[in-house]
Amino acid sequence: MKTVLEIENVHAKIGEKEILKGLNLKLEPGKVHAIMGPNGAGKSTLSKTIVGHYDVTLTGGDIRYKGKSINDMEPEERALEGIFLSFQHPVEIPGVNNAYFLRTALNAKRRHEGKEELNAAEFLRLMKSHLEMLGMKSDMISRSLNEGFSGGEKKRNEILQMLILEPEVIILDEIDSGLDIDALRAVSEGINKMKDGKRSFLVITHYSRILDYIEPDYIHVLKDGRIIKTAGPELVEQLEDKGYESIEEDSAS
Amino acid sequence: MTPDTLRNKSVEELAVLLGTDVREPQLKKLHDLGLPSKKSEAYRYFDIETLLCREYALLDYIPKAIQESDHVEIVDGTVVSAPKGMRIFYEACKHVEMEHFDPLYYLGHLLSPHVITIEIDGDAHVEIVHRFTRSNALINYRISLENQSNRHAIVYERFEDDAVRDTLVLYGYDMRIAPNSTLRVLKTQTLHPENYAMVASHNVHVEREANALLKSFDFGGGLGLQMLRIVLEDHAHVEAGHLLYLNSESRRGTVSQIIHKGEHATSSQEAKNILDGHSRGIFDALIRVDHSAKYSKAHQNSKAVLLDESAYMAAKPQLEIYIDELEASHGSTTGQLDKKQLFYLQSRGISVTEARKMLVIAFANTLIEKVKDSRQQERIKEEFEKAFYTVHKKDAS
Ligand SMILES: Nc1ncnc2c1ncn2[C@@H]1O[C@H](COP(=O)(O)OP(=O)(O)OP(=O)(O)O)[C@@H](O)[C@H]1O
Ligand SMILES: [Mg+2]
Repeated sequence: MKTVLEIENVHAKIGEKEILKGLNLKLEPGKVHAIMGPNGAGKSTLSKTIVGHYDVTLTGGDIRYKGKSINDMEPEERALEGIFLSFQHPVEIPGVNNAYFLRTALNAKRRHEGKEELNAAEFLRLMKSHLEMLGMKSDMISRSLNEGFSGGEKKRNEILQMLILEPEVIILDEIDSGLDIDALRAVSEGINKMKDGKRSFLVITHYSRILDYIEPDYIHVLKDGRIIKTAGPELVEQLEDKGYESIEEDSAS
Repeated sequence: MTPDTLRNKSVEELAVLLGTDVREPQLKKLHDLGLPSKKSEAYRYFDIETLLCREYALLDYIPKAIQESDHVEIVDGTVVSAPKGMRIFYEACKHVEMEHFDPLYYLGHLLSPHVITIEIDGDAHVEIVHRFTRSNALINYRISLENQSNRHAIVYERFEDDAVRDTLVLYGYDMRIAPNSTLRVLKTQTLHPENYAMVASHNVHVEREANALLKSFDFGGGLGLQMLRIVLEDHAHVEAGHLLYLNSESRRGTVSQIIHKGEHATSSQEAKNILDGHSRGIFDALIRVDHSAKYSKAHQNSKAVLLDESAYMAAKPQLEIYIDELEASHGSTTGQLDKKQLFYLQSRGISVTEARKMLVIAFANTLIEKVKDSRQQERIKEEFEKAFYTVHKKDAS
């Protein structure tokens, strides 16, 4: 089995509190992994740990991306190497123009990859084509980053960034919460467009409805800081019917 | 000359030292206010004594034939070029303000009995470039700026120097903003440590129904203080904005008094301060609303972002109010860049330096965006970036 991201026996704290308690997880290239789990289980903490968020202190274990440990990598390096997190609560940044921000990010990545940077006009063309697909208004170009965006607009803007940056490991933290059905469809379509048989997805969710659209290969149950079960998509139904209490822990995890 | 030799002298002694008639009222003002020291109200956050204790060469200001150019250029206090047809000449100052709080305002006038008068014609856009070429010098000059009623003119002001060292520049405007007119003055200045230091002492009289927009964009290190006194007549309006981006051991900022004299006048003053290194930003600003100034509106605000633990903001917004019928507010805040915002940008592959720069520009944008001329706006951003990259290493591109 090939692995693109390997999380091995990770312990992590926020403040003085241990949140991840020996977590193991392997993401396979080209596959969609869903993580489900009760509130406060540590799902967002896991995603923050992977991208190197300042809240989280890694106290044990190893995170390897393409075979190399990224424990000591700066957040921007992890991003440049192809790891992307769509935040559960994207922050608003008044005064930073959305298009300018995105072009800066894309050009940082292109520079990193030794490619030509895009000029403003070229970038605008690219951005517009994605906006349409996501059903976003063209004023998203001129507005400040996430400022005054509705919940749905913020999530669509996260997907827009994913589409433009074309990362290789994509972590979506509750991309579906607070979305109406149209937004959910647009967001799912964006995600499906990124599937190319190589990229991996880690989809954190409470609901099965997004999984109807994006068809996961694996379901992982995260509870009390550990992955306690990994199964195929059929597990969703059991979780829907009987809840997390019904899950028996895998012996291997 | 060492300016400090003027300290604690009688009017008679000052008259001799400055070569002035002993009856000159400005002499008494300088005497009464006293040469500034650490203990002077207006200079308490600024190290003026060190500057006044140095020995400087005094310059001769011999008017030259003014060359034709697309902008006004003043080199070491002497006008060398100006646009064709512009009314610019030397004369005895017609209106020296007798209520100014700054002793150096009076010293400046006493040292420069002839001021450079610039009469701005109609809706002109005037660019004034100040250039300094002499080290270890006291460069002193004053400008009297006049515009015309019912007109809307703009002055862009910037500063250049030939890497001079240990020079002290005292200069400033006496502005009379004509009834029913608008005058915008936008100043951009980057200073370097050990270069020249500057105290700019201005007096602005805003006549009835006139608008004054005074914006300063001050970057880099060094020592610089802007002393601003503004008087508002009936229905006059002033909008003052001060952007500071300071680094190293810099001490810079604004000390101001805005005086509401007439009725229905409005003032708004906004300072944005971004402080790096061991720098100290100064915003020591008083708005006074007199008995005569019914229905005034006065708003004042200072915001500071500290990029370094060693930086310090001296913010002192003050309102002094003698009437009831008015609308007024003031406040100041000091903080850091938002960690969450910084992380969000980094998580998209943007370097810490670029992310900080983006957030700092976003913070400064309420002031920068008000510069309507896009070329000038670009120039301000470029100057800011240049100063910023001397501290924060730019990404290799
Ligand atoms: N910044 C923080 N400071 C202190 N405690 C925190 C912080 N962030 C998270 N926690 C705590 O860490 C634990 C795990 O939180 P986390 O956000 O990872 O859960 P989650 O599984 O994502 O939950 P949800 O489904 O509600 O999003 C919780 O007990 C939470 O209170
Ligand atoms: Mg969460």
